[in-house]
Amino acid sequence: MALDKEIYAAFAGVVGEENICDDPALMPAYFFTDFAAVVLPKSTAEVQAVVRLCNQFRLQFRPICTGWTGFFRPGTVLLDLRRMDQIVEINEKNMYAVVEPYVTSAQLQAELFKRGLCTNLKGAGAQCSAMLRGHGHLDQSMGADDRNHLAVEWVTPDGELVRLGSLGSVGEWFSGDGPGPSLRSLISSVVPPSCTPGVFTKVAMKLYHWPGPTRYSLTGYSPRYLLAEKPPNMMARYYSFPTLDQMWQAEIKIGEAEIALELMGFNVAMVAANITTSNEEDEAMFKRLSQEVQGPGFFVIIAGNSPDDFAYKKKVLETIIAENEGMSLKSVEDPEIEGILLTQCTRISASVRETFRPGGNFKSIPIMGQRDLTIRWAVGAGQAKLPLIEQGLIADDGGGFFGWGVEHGHLGKTEIFCKFSPLNPEARKAVDAWAEQQSNRALEEKYFALTMGPPEQIDSKVGPALSNYHLWWYKVLATLDPNEVIPDKGVSKLHP
Amino acid sequence: MALEEYAGDMSMCCRCSACKFVPLQQVKGFKHANVCPSISRYNFHFYSGGGRLNLGYAGLKNGFQYVPRYLDVLYNCQLCGACDVSCKYGMDMEVLRPIQEMRIKAVEDGHPHPALETVVSRMRATGSMVPVAGRKRGDWAEGLGLRNALEEKVEILYHVGCLTSFDPERQKVARATARVLDRAGVSFGVLGEAETCCGGRAYEMGHQADFLAQAAKSKELVEKTGVKTLVTSCATCYQVYKVLYDRFGLKDELEVLHITQLLERLLGEGRLKPSRGQEITVTYHDPCHLGRLGEPWIHWQGKKIPGDRFVFDPPKPYRRGTHGVYEPPRRVLAALPGVRLVEMDRIKEYAWCGGSCGGVIDSNPEFAEWTAAERLAEATCTGAEAIVTASPWSEKLFAQVLAKNGGDLAVYDIVELVDQAV
Amino acid sequence: MMIERKKLAETVGESNLYDDEATLEAYSRDMSFANPTRPRFVVKPHTATEVKELVKLARETNTPLVPVSSGAPHFRGDTVPSTGGAVVVDLSEMKKIVFVDRARRVAMVEPGVTFGELIPVAREEGIRLNMPLLPRSTKSVVGSMLEREPVVMPSYQWDVSDPLACLEVVFGTGDDFRTGQAAGPGTVEEQWAVGGRQKAPYGPHVAAWHRLVQGAQGTMGIVTWASLRCELLPQVQEAFLVGSARLGPLLEMARWLIRLRLVNECFVLSGLDLAAVSAQARPGHLQRLRSALPAWTLFYVVAGYEYFPEERVAVNIKDISALGQRLGLEPVPALGGISARELMKTVQQPSGEPYWKLRYKGGCEDVLFLAPFDRLEVLTELVARLALEDGLTVGEYGVYIQPTVQGTSCHCEFNFFYDPDDAQDVLRVKRLVAAAVRSLLDAGAFFSRPYGEAAGIVMNRDAASLDILRRLKKIFDPAAVMNPGKLCF
Repeated sequence: MALDKEIYAAFAGVVGEENICDDPALMPAYFFTDFAAVVLPKSTAEVQAVVRLCNQFRLQFRPICTGWTGFFRPGTVLLDLRRMDQIVEINEKNMYAVVEPYVTSAQLQAELFKRGLCTNLKGAGAQCSAMLRGHGHLDQSMGADDRNHLAVEWVTPDGELVRLGSLGSVGEWFSGDGPGPSLRSLISSVVPPSCTPGVFTKVAMKLYHWPGPTRYSLTGYSPRYLLAEKPPNMMARYYSFPTLDQMWQAEIKIGEAEIALELMGFNVAMVAANITTSNEEDEAMFKRLSQEVQGPGFFVIIAGNSPDDFAYKKKVLETIIAENEGMSLKSVEDPEIEGILLTQCTRISASVRETFRPGGNFKSIPIMGQRDLTIRWAVGAGQAKLPLIEQGLIADDGGGFFGWGVEHGHLGKTEIFCKFSPLNPEARKAVDAWAEQQSNRALEEKYFALTMGPPEQIDSKVGPALSNYHLWWYKVLATLDPNEVIPDKGVSKLHP
Repeated sequence: MALEEYAGDMSMCCRCSACKFVPLQQVKGFKHANVCPSISRYNFHFYSGGGRLNLGYAGLKNGFQYVPRYLDVLYNCQLCGACDVSCKYGMDMEVLRPIQEMRIKAVEDGHPHPALETVVSRMRATGSMVPVAGRKRGDWAEGLGLRNALEEKVEILYHVGCLTSFDPERQKVARATARVLDRAGVSFGVLGEAETCCGGRAYEMGHQADFLAQAAKSKELVEKTGVKTLVTSCATCYQVYKVLYDRFGLKDELEVLHITQLLERLLGEGRLKPSRGQEITVTYHDPCHLGRLGEPWIHWQGKKIPGDRFVFDPPKPYRRGTHGVYEPPRRVLAALPGVRLVEMDRIKEYAWCGGSCGGVIDSNPEFAEWTAAERLAEATCTGAEAIVTASPWSEKLFAQVLAKNGGDLAVYDIVELVDQAV
Repeated sequence: MMIERKKLAETVGESNLYDDEATLEAYSRDMSFANPTRPRFVVKPHTATEVKELVKLARETNTPLVPVSSGAPHFRGDTVPSTGGAVVVDLSEMKKIVFVDRARRVAMVEPGVTFGELIPVAREEGIRLNMPLLPRSTKSVVGSMLEREPVVMPSYQWDVSDPLACLEVVFGTGDDFRTGQAAGPGTVEEQWAVGGRQKAPYGPHVAAWHRLVQGAQGTMGIVTWASLRCELLPQVQEAFLVGSARLGPLLEMARWLIRLRLVNECFVLSGLDLAAVSAQARPGHLQRLRSALPAWTLFYVVAGYEYFPEERVAVNIKDISALGQRLGLEPVPALGGISARELMKTVQQPSGEPYWKLRYKGGCEDVLFLAPFDRLEVLTELVARLALEDGLTVGEYGVYIQPTVQGTSCHCEFNFFYDPDDAQDVLRVKRLVAAAVRSLLDAGAFFSRPYGEAAGIVMNRDAASLDILRRLKKIFDPAAVMNPGKLCF
């Protein structure tokens, strides 16, 4: 559905002919959605102008940064922010970086390592935007969700430019809240992403100290890069435990002791996926690791600011592991594999290996919040996967789930997914049913509720169960979006 | 394999965008993180590897619409294979193959690029990819007294290639190659006037039938010489004889070497002893066809195993760019007195394309030059005085862009430096 | 129209309704320069249901409500009614400590709970609070968090909203709402039944609702409980002081201490503030302390937890020593008669009496803002110049610099002490505060928590944010009954 000529000309007048496309033949390239048009603004001013045109012509729009998965309504105008790709500032003294939407985590991390700083890579991978909310390998010591955002430059759904916090008051990025109530309340919370209102054109991300090398020295060729030399004062291990409770006890003790740079509650299927370069290797490695582990486990990286600091952290780690009868996985002690994991987890987050490589698709239930609570729910959700595995509908991961402590165990993340082939409708049906049953169970049993469902589900079930937040949200959205240019009332599904 | 056979691969694209960047472990900073010239230049997702696969998948499902924008996307791609390498860091799926097939399908469906069609017609008529312009293929060898492999028995056939043969500025590389081989006492010959195009560039332009017809002619000629080894100083010709011919069952037992591989061998055997040379800091550009695309073909046939995984019986070995020709040119440079190599950010399997592949130099010279200019800028960042390559196409384009845009970099073919040193 | 006395009495009970002269007078003013305005009534609800009923009544009758959690003395004018006829909702009787959970490091309290009340209960369980610097003994824990007061352990402040976790609020519409994990599913009691503790602050959905209530000075609604993240009680602690005539090196050291997560409590005080914080109530003690102190002092505490605590402390001290050498600074256990260990004990409790800001002259007006580390020297020099122009030397006012949010900025507070009975002194401080706010704003100070008259100047600098805040206000308090006249509302 191409735009009508007058509207097309108006958009082209803003971004230039070469940065707009409304040819229906090309639209399948973007999420297989029949977008009204794709426009590529270059600057905040262009974003504002495009958004204003969307308001003028009552066209719904959605922005993407690096644009991984998404579900979009046909007829939407897509703002592909690819041309907004600058690192505006890396402020070493005040530990933040200001990025535009198309700066990738890989780029930012490379620049930060050079300066002894670090950003928390999101699980989606380092090819994704550095400004994402989200979760990743370094949550344990580097926070997650919206809690790493400082000031934000925001184009509202009606095209106004709002500069949050210190940015609006004094033109600097160090704080995103105030004066008075924080407008971060409206635009920034947990993943999974629904339709955030408007467009974030620049975001200041909080940074952390990086005790590792300024650059990893690698040998080998893709897809198997090896660490030439293990950096000093760093160590990666995978520990398995006789019981889930012992694993949890060890996890929380490690959090409380504040010793881990990373604590990632991978199941061994995910470890296998990360360290292998093909599905066949992955399958063999999964079998091998499954034999090696004694039960559930997690992956840990410790890193010291000094040799003494490292020695202390190592001693505490080993004590906690011993207290909980944990066992280090010999395969990960192999320096080659240890090196692969060190670099992948802090530098790239190779999540496509874990998620898409086996079958081409996966469906996930990610939950943020209280870790012990969500673990209990996830045990049941994992068991519910077993029949699907037996029927060959999803990849065998032993019914596993994964998760980790965030902010040294103050908060947590738990996630469980099914990997399947998009070409198998039966598998998709079974996976959808599993996801629905398990999220319903979470809601009914009062564990948590997913807020990324379709609008009708939010209105009828989820909203009323969660303090009627949806009614407040709709009021907020109505005032920000008088022309209803945000699709689906700002709630939508992550996957079609 | 026709496009249909890659439907499964295309459906595997998860739109992660890894195809747009160098393998993420190799991102060395803010700069030089991109790896795909097409998406870098044109920005819309459909210019990327993943976007192209989505278009291919949708086309198979709903029919292809050869609108101007689609054709623009189709032909503005160097088919350099960088997306393929970056994707396969994480995934098991073909990327470059279906993209190539989409172009072949367009030609078969009657939508060739007019400029490329002209080039292919020329090849049909003259056996050359480049304008002959009244010259003869063997002119470059005048006065060198080289043996003709069709007339004398030699161990190695030196295949010169169209551009090196006919372009007056590139002929120096052929002459340097001949001199070096001669000094090393290699028993080699050339085909002279009889040499004909390998046909590979026609294949990349989507003209598969023309490629196969031309390849048959070339194969026949090579067979006539009876040599067991073919060496070429052209990266493209190397990839065509080594990989493409193998894929189509045209290579048989012929050993195909790029000149850098032979030079490495000769240096190792002490048959070449570099003793003089200029003090110079250089950076090396990995030509796509010698590097990632030069990885040997793997013959495999199998079927997808029904079920949850995209796996095959027998297991499918993927070409991931791991086994391209990366080290021989570097070892040759390391052996040259006075030459100091500094690396660019994007090298080897994740090198940025020099711009001239995939017919783009003919279909969209501006885009080819833009791509080369990006590479030259990257080379300049290293502080090198010269950029060295092993492909006449890259060398020509680099020189052309430097002449146009200015810049202090010198451009060399690696053989020129060896020639100076021995 | 006004809420009828009868209705109020029915709602909170006659014994919790006050309209006597003395009470109304007490609530009509505070220690700030806010214009005194007498409320019509003061009520002290005991339950969230009563609060909800009060808000409904207020909305029906367009009666302004002024929520107050902490006891007097108040300093910022935010609890003084801005308009006549208001009802002060004093929440100090809502004193339930709902739970303290060691395993999840979280507590839930009602707004009347003070630091002095919560600290021992948390300690009993093995956890502690990330506190503001020496809150007065009557200060509400919830009130402090809602004001986004800075906390003394910046390494544990991951987000500016910390340590606030979840809260329950009655919006100006009369609707109650729970934020973050507490929102649901189910009631908080139902969540407890399956092991849920209300700690995760974000959501529901893409909004972070607690951020809307924080910093609002009661203009969006009334909070009836809040949960807060707590930290482990250390097993071993060692405290240090580092003195310097120059602020810059101390800030550099503080920055690295936080960046490397080597310390817990960490802040910088000027000589006068350190003396005021440490002074005992005997005559001349403060002045004697001050005369022996350097211009600036960095204070920090190194701590060890369950595993090999002494070793952790020793390792961190060694690393800090290397850092100090690099910066030419020497951490010491005592400085100018002040023991770091004593100071540590002091700042891990609420202020003793009299409140530390009143010890020097009996009155204090603060100018407080956020700024980046590398801006603070310039800003302190700017204030020094302004003060001097008004005859006030550097040593006559206090400065407290608190690194915040894991070292991404600093809270900077100028404490202008004055004698409330000295009209000249009062006038000078008033003048100075007004001049300082304007100059600091222009020099890049971010007044994220503006109070009183400064609020207008601050809020008006950012018209776009102001516009959205006002639209939000219309949603959550359409009748504008919640503490009208504050901020930009």
